[in-house]
Amino acid sequence: MNEELDSQLSAMFDDELPEDQCQLLARRLSRDDALKARWRRYAVMGAAIRAERQGAGALAVRLETNLAARVSAAISAEPALVADAVAPGVRKVAGMRWWQPVAGGAIAAGVAAMSVLWIRAQAPIGGESLVADNVAAPAALTQTVADNSAPESYVVPATVERTPIVPSAELANYVVAHSEFSAPVNRRNMLSALVASEPVGDDDAAPSPSDDANVVEVARPNVEEASK
Amino acid sequence: MSADVSDLSLVRRVQRGDKGAFDALVLKYQHKVVKLVMRYVRNPAEAEDIAQEAFIKAYRALPQFRGDSAFYTWLYRIAINTAKNAVVSRDRSPIDFDLDLQNPDESYDMQGRLKDSETPEALTLTEEIRSTVNSAIDALPEDLRTAIVLRELEGLSYEEIADAMGCPVGTVRSRIFRAREAIDRRLREVFEGGLGRAEELG
Repeated sequence: MNEELDSQLSAMFDDELPEDQCQLLARRLSRDDALKARWRRYAVMGAAIRAERQGAGALAVRLETNLAARVSAAISAEPALVADAVAPGVRKVAGMRWWQPVAGGAIAAGVAAMSVLWIRAQAPIGGESLVADNVAAPAALTQTVADNSAPESYVVPATVERTPIVPSAELANYVVAHSEFSAPVNRRNMLSALVASEPVGDDDAAPSPSDDANVVEVARPNVEEASK
Repeated sequence: MSADVSDLSLVRRVQRGDKGAFDALVLKYQHKVVKLVMRYVRNPAEAEDIAQEAFIKAYRALPQFRGDSAFYTWLYRIAINTAKNAVVSRDRSPIDFDLDLQNPDESYDMQGRLKDSETPEALTLTEEIRSTVNSAIDALPEDLRTAIVLRELEGLSYEEIADAMGCPVGTVRSRIFRAREAIDRRLREVFEGGLGRAEELG
């Protein structure tokens, strides 16, 4: 052990060594057991001098203690700190974040599943009240609307086959014949109703020209007759 | 000279994963921390347990230490909080021996003695260290003795000691070092003898 090194150690203990020398000596101190033992004795002699000043009545602090060895043993079991270490609290928060979206998604999926099961349990077989139920379960509604082709959808009511009301020629003739004895206003209204009862806007189901001609052919002379 | 530079050098090493540097910090401050904790608990063994906990807490919290305050100030705050928590925790726990209600102070001292099985040996060794250091200081030349006492007892900086003694700072540094060397020669014998006795007892 050279004297200059010991002199630097003494100055470092008193916080009187230049910073660049401190950094070099700190590195050596952390690895050199002999230097560390000397450092320890410097601490002990300082404590002894201060204890002497306090007198015999002062509470005795052990000058020879294994406290440092106990701390060192405990620290050796701890993970070494790293240069870019962040605060443990921050690490903890960051560690907690990864599962939060997963948990949120799981909760949302659970709620949706429960809603679907509840709707199925509450839905009548005929499906008359499904429109009201759909309001309470928008997620399920969205899913089933996209799947219109499903024949047994539990949300979209089963399509009722609406047969367009097309007055038969027999009925039309009957109405026209009957209209001979009714008021003109009512007669016009009845014909209007018959015409209006045909599907509106249903281009695919538009009556064929032959059907139309049939009705008109039969009805027109009667109408003209009635107007006379 | 910027204050706390040596502690900061060690702290930075610990923060980069050098656990040996933390040993140096513990060795430097262990007596001061135990003395501080003994304001809250009178039992030396219990004070050391609390000090140990405080040092471990400090190690774990070191990544958060940025050096805005002196390391020892930061460490002392941790030690005080640890001691206060220990006292609260101890007061809530049941007492496992009979208290003399007529003389609570004596009972409290008894509590300390009962928990401190190492006290006779530790007290003997402590007393031996103390007397050795004092006799070594008495044997020092006047200029060395004044320099080391002003430093250790009064806590003056080298510059303040230089002003008081009317000499350069370099001389102060040399005097303090020589004083420590003289004391250390005597102290080493005690440590080696003390450890030898401990091994015999063990």
